[in-house]
Amino acid sequence: MRICRLGGWLLAGTAGAALLSLAVIPTPAQAPAAYKALKTKDGKPNLNGIWQANNEANWDIRPHAAYAGPVYTLGAAYSTPAGLGVVDGGELPYKPEAAAKQKDNFTNRLKLDPEIKCYMGGVPRSTYMPYPFQIVQGTGTIMFVYEYAGAVRVINMGAPTKAPADSWMGWSNGHWEGESLVVDVTSLNDSTWFDRAGNWHSDALHVIERYTAIGPDALQYEATIDDPKVFTRQWKMGMPLYRRLEKNAQILEYKCVEFAEEVLYGHLRKQPLQGKGDSK
Amino acid sequence: MRRQLLSTLIALVAVVLLVSAPVVAQTGAQASVTAKPAPAAKAWTMPRTPDGKPDLQGVYSNATTIPVARPANLGAKEFYDSEADKAATAAAAAGGRGGRGGAARPAAAADPEGNGLAVHYDTSQFGLGGPTVKRAASLRTSIITGPEGRVPAVLPEVAKAAQDRRAYQQAHQWDSAQNRPLAERCITWGFEGPPMMPVGYNSTLEIVQGQGYVGIVQEMIHDTRIIPTDGRPHGPAEIKRWMGDSVGHWEGDTLVVETVNYNPLVVIQGQQVSDAAKVTERFTRVDADTITYQFTVDDPKVWVKPFSGEYNMVHIDGGLYEYACHEGNYGMANNLSGARATEKK
Amino acid sequence: MRNKLALVLAGAGILLAVAPVWAHHAFAAEFDEKRPLKLQGVVTKWELVNPHSWIHLDVKGPDGKITPWMVEGGSPNSLFRNGFTKESLPEGTEIIVEGYRAKDGADRAVGANLTYAKDGKRLFMGGSAPGSNGDGK
Repeated sequence: MRICRLGGWLLAGTAGAALLSLAVIPTPAQAPAAYKALKTKDGKPNLNGIWQANNEANWDIRPHAAYAGPVYTLGAAYSTPAGLGVVDGGELPYKPEAAAKQKDNFTNRLKLDPEIKCYMGGVPRSTYMPYPFQIVQGTGTIMFVYEYAGAVRVINMGAPTKAPADSWMGWSNGHWEGESLVVDVTSLNDSTWFDRAGNWHSDALHVIERYTAIGPDALQYEATIDDPKVFTRQWKMGMPLYRRLEKNAQILEYKCVEFAEEVLYGHLRKQPLQGKGDSK
Repeated sequence: MRRQLLSTLIALVAVVLLVSAPVVAQTGAQASVTAKPAPAAKAWTMPRTPDGKPDLQGVYSNATTIPVARPANLGAKEFYDSEADKAATAAAAAGGRGGRGGAARPAAAADPEGNGLAVHYDTSQFGLGGPTVKRAASLRTSIITGPEGRVPAVLPEVAKAAQDRRAYQQAHQWDSAQNRPLAERCITWGFEGPPMMPVGYNSTLEIVQGQGYVGIVQEMIHDTRIIPTDGRPHGPAEIKRWMGDSVGHWEGDTLVVETVNYNPLVVIQGQQVSDAAKVTERFTRVDADTITYQFTVDDPKVWVKPFSGEYNMVHIDGGLYEYACHEGNYGMANNLSGARATEKK
Repeated sequence: MRNKLALVLAGAGILLAVAPVWAHHAFAAEFDEKRPLKLQGVVTKWELVNPHSWIHLDVKGPDGKITPWMVEGGSPNSLFRNGFTKESLPEGTEIIVEGYRAKDGADRAVGANLTYAKDGKRLFMGGSAPGSNGDGK
């Protein structure tokens, strides 16, 4: 608060009191409020439900103004809307050569974005793609079912285990810390991105997620990102996840392979499609 | 307590028969499966989830050596008398045409299609379908139950349509990715169903029960079914799904799931299903390691009558491994590229 | 297709319940049964992906020139279930591949039989412990 010191303290005090008198909705960078979730019958925070992020992170996780999309014929419809960003501190701590590669990814995103090919979104991107996912909270395992490309993760809630090899959705070991579900995700392959803007990672990526209820219909999601091959230090992202409240809300199928086949294999057709590049 | 004694008696018989088979309560064509699975071989209590429902959770193999259709020479015989009987039948069949009812031929056997084992990788090197795979014991002669043990005939117009499609496919099978089978495109493997059918390899699934839902992940190809058990109706009929639209409810200790609204390209037992298709499944845990899975397929626009099947799935250690088919599908590009190269010759 | 299924499961003595397992992959289109080959090379990468794993090899020709090859194998998921991991075929391992060449002429093959150059033992056989495969890990 860049006003005179006394005024500043007065203002801060008032604002603080006002904030405290409300149920505090945390900003992305803050710790969750002291809301206590309803419990499942086995005494755990009940995270069952259909959830969805409501932000622009899948476009670009960094703070950004609106900018043009890569396909001019899609005009404004596939342009990138502005976003406050979901990265704590705003900036991604890329190593210099990694920052250069991100710029390259961005320039060539039409060719390189795995989302265009219907490749699974990995972690954390699957969390904030603009489609719902469902948490089915069992005893001993918790299932996360994402609509996009039918991606799924089964979180092991028992003694941690190790992955035999890398995978698109990684290997998840979870445990409870008070009100939070903490998921340690390792063995992610290097082929997913953080967003459509080419923000990327290596196969050294290690993500620690926290899911904490902040109200009956909202969770706070935080992910700590550690990738020593790409970034100079750890960094965090955070965002609310909102419950889909429609009656009979459900995960629908988004098996997108058939929508990506022309992009991937069209050049191997026996006869090229008429009006190449247009929709049918 | 009396039931306990009777149960034990039945259990002893069941042990001899390597129980996984229900007593078939109906005569004649089996229009729907109502037979209850046989009780467990030893004293056992149904585990329950915290909300009191049967606990079906776990990781299972539904791999099997039982053929879908009963070998023709077995007629109405639904169960082998013993393991010895089963082995003898298999050996006899191996000497003949082989195929589904028979044992695999030895490695040195003739190669009628001219490709031979050698053009493929050796599956035994990768442990696929081999002896390390856990399978529920069973003396069933076929997955399809009833006196016929085979998928019924299809309506004449369906046979004609299928024939026309096959003819078209013959001429166009390499035109593009979209002309390839769904499994080759990594859209569906064809065994996810429902009904969920045993697969040649990686025939594993995991069941997780949350509040009001049963989630089932099948490894091939990471397809997840989320089955609501809160009594809701099916979704809109406009929304056709590759795995259909499933709703479930509990009947006693059995999970009953009904599925409708299949994507018109879905194939069940060799036929594209219609908008009238309805599949009913029943899941019953019968002991600490085993779930009996029963299904009925009813599509009056395709088959002349419904048909039912049953098999057991058995608990395995460990979990599922990701089968990210599409992401690693070099084969599609390679196949099309090979086809284009062949045409140039 | 049915016959091919029976053949590929030969030796395992398995009755297979369902429609052909390999229907998902028309090998006849991708690989040429009239072009068998034998490669000896050094593993540079092992792609543990589905539906097929791929072993990348550097193969030294008689002229000393090194050609990178890709060799197709089976789904790795059963290997994982049998205790193998990405460490089970390290870079630098020398292997011999007997297989068939890709139809489109690329340096690609399907590996029908994979053995260690060192002792002739088959890859991934000999039980579930990686060390028992003769690679001395």
